[in-house]
Amino acid sequence: MIRKYIALLRMKYIEMLAYRLATLVWMTGAIVQPLITMAVWMNIDPSQSDAFLFYFMAVIFVERMTSAWDVWELDREIREGTFSNYIIRPLHPIHWAIAENVVYKVLFVAILAPIWAIAALFVPALRFDVTGGQALLFLAAVLLGAALRFLLSYICGLLGFWITKVTAVYGVLEAISLFLSGRIAPLSMLPPMLQQWSVFLPFRYMIGFPIDIVTGAANGHDMLQGFAIASIWVAVFIIALRWIWIAGLKKNQAVGG
Amino acid sequence: MIHVKHLHKSFRVHARQAGWLEAVRSLWRREYRVVEAVKDISFTIEKGEIVGFLGPNGAGKTTTMKMLAGLLHPTSGEITVGGFVPFEQKAEFKKMMSLVMGQKSQLIWDIPPMETFLVNKAIYEIDDRMFRETLDELVELLELAPLLDKPTRSLSLGQRMRCELAAALLHRPQVLFLDEPTIGLDVHTQEKVRRFIVDYNREHETTILLTSHYMGDVTALCDRVMIINYGKLIYDGELTVLTEKLAPYKRLEVRFAKVPDVRWEDYGEVVEIEDGNVALRVAREKVAEVSAHFLQHFHVHDINIQDPPMEEVITRAFQEGLHDS
Repeated sequence: MIRKYIALLRMKYIEMLAYRLATLVWMTGAIVQPLITMAVWMNIDPSQSDAFLFYFMAVIFVERMTSAWDVWELDREIREGTFSNYIIRPLHPIHWAIAENVVYKVLFVAILAPIWAIAALFVPALRFDVTGGQALLFLAAVLLGAALRFLLSYICGLLGFWITKVTAVYGVLEAISLFLSGRIAPLSMLPPMLQQWSVFLPFRYMIGFPIDIVTGAANGHDMLQGFAIASIWVAVFIIALRWIWIAGLKKNQAVGG
Repeated sequence: MIHVKHLHKSFRVHARQAGWLEAVRSLWRREYRVVEAVKDISFTIEKGEIVGFLGPNGAGKTTTMKMLAGLLHPTSGEITVGGFVPFEQKAEFKKMMSLVMGQKSQLIWDIPPMETFLVNKAIYEIDDRMFRETLDELVELLELAPLLDKPTRSLSLGQRMRCELAAALLHRPQVLFLDEPTIGLDVHTQEKVRRFIVDYNREHETTILLTSHYMGDVTALCDRVMIINYGKLIYDGELTVLTEKLAPYKRLEVRFAKVPDVRWEDYGEVVEIEDGNVALRVAREKVAEVSAHFLQHFHVHDINIQDPPMEEVITRAFQEGLHDS
């Protein structure tokens, strides 16, 4: 399995290099929305400017690290029939997607981390003071968040066996997640009822939760509860994915000549 | 190697009339109809055989092939390929077979074919020595050397198809399914691909099932053909027998020094008479006799005896059916 991953990572890396410009545009494009949202919040409440700056910079970072695009790929591959080429090979297609995620996210870290470090030299609001434990918990939470978004996106993609243009369904989920994950505003600013819901839904753990750890907004109890609920969601998604995969293959029409 | 018994596949298709009103109506009232793509097909293919799977578009060839490769779940019936049930998706099964689809590339589009080969090496767990040997062989047979490091998207269709074949054969499958492998290729490249398939089959005793609607593929590659139409297998047997059965005549072309004044209808059906050339359709059993007669009694410049073109034979099979076979 390790060898297979090495081969896939290598190939995805080479492929990424072939898409240099697209990758760059894609990365910088994703920064625009959080920046605008940040500007709006700073305007609403200037006294909290520094907190918003840090929060939304963290959103950019965590959002890129947990982003998932697999639903678009799967939707196209299933609809056009090229997905068949993965099914007939003796390796579950999900590994191709995982390898791709790893390659792109390593690149994101390699670009974003130095930018953050340099920016922090000039902008005091971006400096943060975390313990080693907190940093590890933050990384673990980002990993969980990435797993959650990836699984949800892949599950939706597999629904393409039943529905054409499944990306529409995913679009609805994305819209909900915009609020409940903490992308549009820190979760503490949502109405109390939404805050309560967000604790039990998976979206919070995709972006807001890791940021709460690094800003110190989450105490020990919050973290324990957060990791537990996020882990349960990961397990639920894995079970759902397996079931949908098996059912989907039966349903598969392997379109195209 | 391949056993198929009473195979059926039906799809539920959403039926919708064309037009705006109908499109709106179908939002809440969906009508489905069941399309039977494959109806009760049974056959057996032995190890090392090359079998041609013929039929017009939409006859069920590709559907059958996809079931054999494990891509489609049969509605009913049994399939085993090399002892495996394809749809169970066992890794061992996938390692012993390969599917090449003329229209669906497995090569990764924006990077060179060699990268796909290396990924396949890892996925199929091919060891270094075997990979080297197989790759060298394929590079030579398919003349791939100049193509390996060019991005796939920049290859011509023929070049890509050759790389496609190589990617599919690196793990030395025992069973090879070729779905329209020569589609869109020029005559010269078609010929190359055909020669490769024949040589490869002879060398490795690979069992090959091939669909095509180029008759040339079938006549060049297959001794045995299966003809499918409307989801039913209407013929399974030797190509030569099929020809005899459907076309019990040959085409006899004779060039005379001077066209003799005889009743041509006595020898066979007249196709054309022009400038000393006479083309007749003569019953198979009379061909020898008629040509001997011409050579003995008239001054003949040239004589040519041909089977009727395959296209003609197969088209007749599609039209008339062959339920007695």
